[in-house]
Amino acid sequence: MVDDVLVPMDDSEMSERTLEYALEVFPDADVTVLHVVGEPSPMWGRATGLALADDLEEAADEHAKEVFERAREIAAEADGDVVLDTDVELGHPVRAIVRRAADYETVVIGSHGGSVADRIFVGNVAEKVFRRSPVPVVVVR
Amino acid sequence: MISTLLLIGILVAIFVGYNIGGATTGPAFGPAVGADAISKTMAGALMTIFFFVGAWTIGRRVVDTLGRDLVHDPGVFTLEASVAVLFFIGVALFVGNVFGVPASTSMTAVGSIAGLGLAAGELDWGVMGEIAIWWIVSPFIGFWVSLIIGRYFYAELNRRIAMERSEGPLFEIDRSGIVPTPGLSDTATVREAGGVVMVIVIGCLMAYSSGTSNIANAVAPLVGSGELEMNPAIIIGCLAVGIGTFTIARRTLETMGNELTELPLTAAIVTATVSATLVIFLSAIGIPASFVIIATMCIIGLGWGRATRPITVSEAVRGEESAPVSVGALSEDREGEELPPIGEEKEPERIPKASDLFDPATTARVVLMQNVVPAIATLGAYATFRFVPIFGI
Repeated sequence: MVDDVLVPMDDSEMSERTLEYALEVFPDADVTVLHVVGEPSPMWGRATGLALADDLEEAADEHAKEVFERAREIAAEADGDVVLDTDVELGHPVRAIVRRAADYETVVIGSHGGSVADRIFVGNVAEKVFRRSPVPVVVVR
Repeated sequence: MISTLLLIGILVAIFVGYNIGGATTGPAFGPAVGADAISKTMAGALMTIFFFVGAWTIGRRVVDTLGRDLVHDPGVFTLEASVAVLFFIGVALFVGNVFGVPASTSMTAVGSIAGLGLAAGELDWGVMGEIAIWWIVSPFIGFWVSLIIGRYFYAELNRRIAMERSEGPLFEIDRSGIVPTPGLSDTATVREAGGVVMVIVIGCLMAYSSGTSNIANAVAPLVGSGELEMNPAIIIGCLAVGIGTFTIARRTLETMGNELTELPLTAAIVTATVSATLVIFLSAIGIPASFVIIATMCIIGLGWGRATRPITVSEAVRGEESAPVSVGALSEDREGEELPPIGEEKEPERIPKASDLFDPATTARVVLMQNVVPAIATLGAYATFRFVPIFGI
């Protein structure tokens, strides 16, 4: 029985399907959606934009708001009474996810996310999380 | 009578110039257009004018470097070879625009020409070395200047550059007199107007700096081949850039994940000023500068400086505070990563910290990746000119 599931999400369709899958397979678990902001970008604009904000946490929450809203919609569609936890992390997605993973029993992650540029500058997040995570990882394809 | 081959060469040069216009209007005038200070058409017009001024005054020095000095014998620039070099530059621009992977046009141009020179045994290693040294030094200068600004002056600057746009137009034309005179509208403040003027002026500075370094990328091979004189080449190149600024730039202004517009306005202004100044300086001494890399290092410097501001220098040196370098790096122990300094080994309570954003390994990866396209162009050019026997070298 898995009680605590971590679902890292970005703004891709893939990660929406990942959440759907997680809710379906672990219907009784507490699901936490993690969104990482300030990830590497081609000219490092995103991270620096955050670093320069007056209130870092507020700015980070602002960036994550849309993803969390979408996640709640998906949860509502899947099952009326699921309450999602949400969490924001900063920096490189792999590091951030692996950092949090120890607090959960399973990580459910989509196999790929963004664009060619993301692939080049961030790398394949799922693959690295899968290799470095301290807990079991389910990769949704 | 213009030969067909020269015509093809000019067409490819126009294509390159057109793409340069499209790619550089965004960084230069993105902030101004984003702040509703000017229209896209106005951005295109300003871009074209200042690009031309930069190209005409300083840009020719870079054309000289690329078209004449980098190779011992400019005779290697046969028309066929020139077209091929331009082709490599065009592909790099194309890749940058389509995949959102910024690639330095200047580095690609130097790389392609170096590939040509190497294949023909005519590369001037002295000039090449000088260029390469500046490529290493200039991003560091940008990094450090921005770091200092981010650490010590950013907050103050940010207070001064308040860009809260009020409702309504900024300027209105006063028609009560005999001559209509533009004046501040009732809803706008003087400070607001100052901010708007500033983003426009800095956009023009960027356009100028782009002209100084980028014109060479479009026309240097043709000038080097001796088929085209310097002045007509610059004019043709600028016209092509102008067409780009009025056409594809409209799209790139909107859609291109322009990194400068992800920054707060003050940061965009600082980055633009520091990097444009460096680019103009390099162009003035005839070095083709890499705006993308310089700007990236400025952005990183600014953010890093700001992220580390609560720690005083002496504390950081003594290692009493967890140093600005990422703590998260510990959880991974990747090969080739430096060991963290003593005092940093305990993982503190997980509070999101701005310094998490600036992990050295990841930052290095980003900067390295920016060199991939120019590197491929260099190898591609070398292989092409070395083994495909149609270039007359």
